Amino acid sequence: MSALWTHLVLNLCQVGFILLFAPLVEGVLHRLEEIIQGKSGVSIWQTYRDIWKLFAKDEVVSEQSTWVFRFAPIVAFVMPLFVVLLIPALTAYPLFFAFMGDMVAVGFLMAISGFFVALGGMDTGNLYAAVGASRTHMVGFLAEPVFIMVFFSVSYVANSTIPYFVNATWGASWTSMLQPAHFMVILAFFLLILADEGRIPVDSPAGKVEIAMIGHSKGLEYSGTSAALMKWGGANKLMVLALVFVNVLVTPWGLAQSTQWTAVIAAVGLVLLKLLAFVIILALVETTLAKLRLFRISEFLAVAFIICLFAVSIRLTGIA
Amino acid sequence: MITVSPIMLSIAGSVAALFVVFGLGVMVSRQMLASLRFFMGQSVALTLSALVLADALHTVNLLWVALITFVTKVIAVPLVLRWAAGEEIYGRREVDQALEIPASVLVAAVFALVGWFAVAPVLPTLHDVPFAAINLPTGLIMVLWGAFTVALRRESVAQMMGLLIMENGAFFGSIAIVHNLTVIAEIAAAVDVPIVALVIGLLIRSIRRVTGSTRVGTLDKLHEH
Amino acid sequence: MNTEWLPALILLVPLCGALLALANRRSAPYFSVLAAFITLLLAISAAWQVEAHGPLSGSDGLFYLDALGALYLLPVSFVYFTASLYAIGYLWARQQEQDKDAAEPRYRQYFPLMNVFALVILAVPLVANLALMWIAIELTTVFSAFLVAYEDRAEALEAAWKYVALTSMGAMIALLGVLMLYYGTHAAGQAPTWDGLMTAAPHMSAPLLLLAFVLWLIGFGAKTGLVPMHTWLPDAHSQAPASVCAVLSGVETSAALYMLLRIYPALVVNPGIHDPAAWYITAGLITVGSAAFMLIQVHDFKRMFAYSTIEHMGIILTACGIGAAVHEQGTIYQLFAHGFTKSFCFFAAGLAGIIFGTQEIVKVRGLISRSPAVGWALILGTLAIAGAPPFALFLSEFEILDTGYSSGQYLSTGLLTAFIVIAFIALTYQATRIAFGTPDPAQEHTSPAMKIPRSSLAAMVIAFVPVLIFGFYLPPPLVHLVHEAAQLLEVQG
Repeated sequence: MSALWTHLVLNLCQVGFILLFAPLVEGVLHRLEEIIQGKSGVSIWQTYRDIWKLFAKDEVVSEQSTWVFRFAPIVAFVMPLFVVLLIPALTAYPLFFAFMGDMVAVGFLMAISGFFVALGGMDTGNLYAAVGASRTHMVGFLAEPVFIMVFFSVSYVANSTIPYFVNATWGASWTSMLQPAHFMVILAFFLLILADEGRIPVDSPAGKVEIAMIGHSKGLEYSGTSAALMKWGGANKLMVLALVFVNVLVTPWGLAQSTQWTAVIAAVGLVLLKLLAFVIILALVETTLAKLRLFRISEFLAVAFIICLFAVSIRLTGIA
Repeated sequence: MITVSPIMLSIAGSVAALFVVFGLGVMVSRQMLASLRFFMGQSVALTLSALVLADALHTVNLLWVALITFVTKVIAVPLVLRWAAGEEIYGRREVDQALEIPASVLVAAVFALVGWFAVAPVLPTLHDVPFAAINLPTGLIMVLWGAFTVALRRESVAQMMGLLIMENGAFFGSIAIVHNLTVIAEIAAAVDVPIVALVIGLLIRSIRRVTGSTRVGTLDKLHEH
Repeated sequence: MNTEWLPALILLVPLCGALLALANRRSAPYFSVLAAFITLLLAISAAWQVEAHGPLSGSDGLFYLDALGALYLLPVSFVYFTASLYAIGYLWARQQEQDKDAAEPRYRQYFPLMNVFALVILAVPLVANLALMWIAIELTTVFSAFLVAYEDRAEALEAAWKYVALTSMGAMIALLGVLMLYYGTHAAGQAPTWDGLMTAAPHMSAPLLLLAFVLWLIGFGAKTGLVPMHTWLPDAHSQAPASVCAVLSGVETSAALYMLLRIYPALVVNPGIHDPAAWYITAGLITVGSAAFMLIQVHDFKRMFAYSTIEHMGIILTACGIGAAVHEQGTIYQLFAHGFTKSFCFFAAGLAGIIFGTQEIVKVRGLISRSPAVGWALILGTLAIAGAPPFALFLSEFEILDTGYSSGQYLSTGLLTAFIVIAFIALTYQATRIAFGTPDPAQEHTSPAMKIPRSSLAAMVIAFVPVLIFGFYLPPPLVHLVHEAAQLLEVQG
């Protein structure tokens, strides 16, 4: 098999990896949080069961809705899979689609999914969905400058925004790992994940009260296959962001260095371990913080912004 | 001149980043307890920095600084503060601010710039002092942020937090340039911090006893008519 | 006589006073007065030694006292003594005023703290090491916080909190400056003392020295009461007991000013720093000007004297910049005389407060007819502090302005003159309103004539002696000491 084909196959393996393990990551996260909160909690396989159950159910679609409503879950499901083609999920070397887009493209793909989900939510005329959509976009607008600053600082350090190259730059040596700017970017990106994924302290994913929801009220109208796709897509998105975080920013090691199958399978194990560590930290953060009031979210993101600003200015002034 | 490996410089820089981030946390956190935890984190960062510098510069004195910092600031001061503020430290959700946090965060950025430009002319003269380029600007920035925190907060415990991060900043800046504080000055400085914390803690308790709250924003009787 | 242990002894006596006061509540005031008196005698003998044999040093270089330090030590120990004596009757009278049924005086909190407070102020001129000086100044705030809040009302606590927050903030800023100077002196192979700093200063990097100085100016400036960091000062003085005000205003604020004065020659000898005097003149004139205008519209006579303290701190700083330091009766003499005069003013103001039961100027008339002694004390004190002849501050202010005009600094000296005149008019106007006129009969009815405490009156009389004498006559040893101190600040730029 030629190298080109191997790369293509590996690239598709990454997609399979996400599809297979994303519900598990979410399940582990839920279980951990419930353990920390002193509950016994549901099985870590619950998300798989939910998705399976939803696929088997009938779907109800409002007569008032348009094609946007039916199209949105597909976009939400597919976009994280496109993203995973661009990032180092399992291998340290660039794969077939690696140069199709950089980190900015990752941001765009995520934004398209968010855009369609918001439109789909509003399409049925559900009041809560409209409120949720507008709140999500408020958070989105506030998060936007932070995203841009993260890209600036990453590209300034790595001289590239291709995720594979960024990964290689950090991982080159301990000296390049242990940089103040690197720390700050990691921290800011973590705060961004919290905001973008609607985790505590920005939003409460376990909340059941529609009026207090930010992002989760947009999917209330979906049922059957569409609901399954939304749920699976949500799990994919969380896992993709977590992969960018752990593989590109925090720990750029443990990925397959060769095209050997054994190396790739070892990488699957190691990446899952890193994700487990990430999920533990996320669960700890979520359970120790309280949800912020809506108008305090700007404070949260202002802090993330300023941290990024420092990361960039530290590089620019050459302090360290 | 002491040569220092680049890896030590990067570690010291990372600790400085941690120090700044914790300082930012003290400045912006809305809850007293969170603010206290950030302060403890910052003191741990100061301890770490002293340890890193002690190792890189082979200075035993800095080990003492690390030990003293840890004992006084990570252990003693939080105990005093919890005692001073009583249950209010757990009870009250939000600390009053004079300025909205996003605005104050921007002001903090400006202060950081001011601090940097104030130190910039000094740094070339310290080119043979390793770590000065990292620690001195960081320290000065934290002194400015602490002062800003005192001005910003309408709450005695939070204002005291500002004073304490100023002190952390002064020490963070100076451990890079001064390793020869006489033992007596070191001991005195070690005694000084708990005494200051204790007396301010007592004052906070008195304010709470007399006015029923640790809020000082409500104390505004004194001014020229 | 072995003078090695004299500085240590000066610090040991107040410490013993504090411990005894803590141990025995009933005789706490007497132990304190005794400790303060012994300290005063020791301070005079230390100054004598410095005058006769040059700087004192002791305990392996832990202590060091030169002429400038001695000149500061004298007012500190004197005010410590008079304030301790004054407090005995004053505190009791205040307490009775607020609580008619008070059975016995509540001295427990006051006297131990007062002794420790005096101890740390005394330590500032005595210790040799810059870091220890900083610690002493920091501790003055800490130990006086509860003296300011002694009356334990919400307003008093507010004043104490402002005082602690602002001056500790200043102290932290100054700390970084102190540590930078530590580095500077060490890099030049010198010890971190005033002498070491002077030797190292020409070789120190100018930006480092300048940054350290700016941190000091802001940091110690907050403690000194330089505008705009002065806001704590009138509040604290309006709420603290008058005996505490006397120490705070007379000597504690000048502790930080003492540091700022002593770093001045180091700035001048450094070739890289251009025109350090401009910093002093600017900061000083802003302070004097603001204080002078605040004096016009002040409503509370204890606040009035507080603003006058701000004004004097500004005058001393400006004078240092103008170059009056080198003249024998200039800057240093102003610092020296201000300590005595301002404490006397607060003693009089405290008793006036007891007589009237209020500190508001509009409610107070005819002090002289109510109590001639306190009334005339207030008038004389105000005249003395405003700089009227024949008092000591007239001599020093005249000298300062003369230096300014004769060296051609017309703008700064002209402004300083204008501000001093405004402050003079404001002070004398307010004081005459209080002292003369007929007392409001309604008020006399409501507040029965308070008996003036005898110990406070005695303390006020003792405090008046130097205020009066130093205007006419300065003993030759003191003249010599002032001359020596001026030499320490005199440098060829």
